[in-house]
Amino acid sequence: MLSSILRIVHNKKVVPFVFLAPFMTIFLIFKVYPVILAVIMSFQNFQGVQSQEWVGLTNYQNVFNLVRFGQALTNTTVYTIGTLLILIPLPLILAVLLDSGRVAQSTLFRTLIFLPALTSLVVAGTVFRLILAEEGFLNLFLSSTLGIRPLRWLETADLALPSLILIATWRWTGINILYFNSGLVNIPRELYEAAVIDGASPFQMFWRITLPLLRPTTLFVVVLSIIGGYQVFVEPFILYTGGGGPGDGGLSMALLIYRTAFTSFNFGTAAAMGVILAAIIFVFSLIQFRFFGVFSKED
Amino acid sequence: MAQRTSDLILPTTVRPRPRVNASRVLLTLLFVVLTFVFVFPLYWMVISSLRPDGRIFVDAFDLLPSALSLDSYNSLFEQEPYGRWIVNSILQTGGFAFTALFLCTTGGYALAKFRFRGRNFLFLLIVVSQMIPFHLLIVSLFLMIIQLGLVESYWGAIIPIAASPIGIFFVRQYMLSIDDEMLNAARVDGANEYQIFYSVVLPNARPAIATLFILFSLEYWNNLLWPLIVFRQAENMPLAVGITRLINQYRQSYDLVMAGSTLATIPIIILFLFLRRQVMTGIAATGTGMK
Repeated sequence: MLSSILRIVHNKKVVPFVFLAPFMTIFLIFKVYPVILAVIMSFQNFQGVQSQEWVGLTNYQNVFNLVRFGQALTNTTVYTIGTLLILIPLPLILAVLLDSGRVAQSTLFRTLIFLPALTSLVVAGTVFRLILAEEGFLNLFLSSTLGIRPLRWLETADLALPSLILIATWRWTGINILYFNSGLVNIPRELYEAAVIDGASPFQMFWRITLPLLRPTTLFVVVLSIIGGYQVFVEPFILYTGGGGPGDGGLSMALLIYRTAFTSFNFGTAAAMGVILAAIIFVFSLIQFRFFGVFSKED
Repeated sequence: MAQRTSDLILPTTVRPRPRVNASRVLLTLLFVVLTFVFVFPLYWMVISSLRPDGRIFVDAFDLLPSALSLDSYNSLFEQEPYGRWIVNSILQTGGFAFTALFLCTTGGYALAKFRFRGRNFLFLLIVVSQMIPFHLLIVSLFLMIIQLGLVESYWGAIIPIAASPIGIFFVRQYMLSIDDEMLNAARVDGANEYQIFYSVVLPNARPAIATLFILFSLEYWNNLLWPLIVFRQAENMPLAVGITRLINQYRQSYDLVMAGSTLATIPIIILFLFLRRQVMTGIAATGTGMK
């Protein structure tokens, strides 16, 4: 009995599946199956494991009729666009400058600007709660240097998204510099040397050589930012103590899903929202990949 | 491959003309200011946690406070099970890193070094799964761990998130560079496939394993969403969930929250300063490996 099991385990055809089994078991049970379950639940009125009934598209209709969902979708989209507008050009320019040889101690700067990426988003949230508070440092700084009246950052609906984008800028700039840097060092130096001989200005070299050759890296960072932006959760969750902030100004889709599931215990609706969020992320990723022509190059 | 990447990422670039001139000084100054802005919130967290009770906002413009106090740290350990949270975080982080490493090294080896039916499909499935938002899964996973009796347990926090797509992808990329001749030589010497994995493949993948161990640890230590769903009892929580609890309980006691945040962050930053290369090249490699 044991020897026959051993013979099977050592069979050349079986070996790869033995190695794959642990990962695939956990992957199928806790990643693939929950997706299927969530899609099923999104078509059900789910009142616990014992009682489910099929309700067709009712959950989806409810979601789209929900004022808060529209607001969450708008907030999340504006947040994602805002982070893209800052977290692509800023780290790109900083990475190019750090790589240009015109900055002393560039490794030290890279390391220090990277430090925020090590803090958990929870801590980032608590620290910015303190800094953005009405009597906090940001208001003190703004009023003493620029004479701006103290703003109620955490209590004003229109300031919720700028606050969240500020946190994102702090947290992700260092990582994006790192990504752009690893793209930059892959650009052959000879191209720049040839351009210098041809009398190209640094600015021309940036537009004609650096930007085009950095496109795969830029695509990657854009896709990552969109996927991450649409999933923003911890920052508003901490900043507004689990709620959506003043007038739901900081309510993100992920936060609404969490609250629908674990505050209202409305699992069917939460599942439908999850499916919609996944669809948005999937479509954006596909558009990006097609736009940049990645599929045609690979395989 | 990862080794090559690490060579490339390090800023070894020496441009032809490193002259000392005005633009160099100005640019360096710009980065000094910028770095100050980025590091400031961390400094502010530490300094606020050390201010005496009730002085956080009153003294907010004293960038170098004269009076320091450890009161907030004392109350943190007296009023909340902060010590437990540290222990929980260390144990859960270690458990997660080891579990995820086991799954990713075995699975990554199979994807890198064996040809079998369905391999490309599995690979595509894993890559696509990277795009699935975790919020789509939370309701299903929550119901599943209730049925499995894993609520409030370490395993409930670890197992459902342990099959890391990026992790297996990273291991696969690295193991593609391991020489097949070496594996075949071991086969000729009579070693079976599992001995080869343990005594040839794993030692050769040590750099990738070390990097992944660090990245997995950082990931769990900083993760909030899943442990927040698994743990409701204060004594089982890891630090991230515990700090969230502090915010809810002590809305006005910023010093306490800052003390809790400082203790959860500073050890990580100190560790990072020793492992800087590995962390930064690792993040760049796992990232750029996806494109």
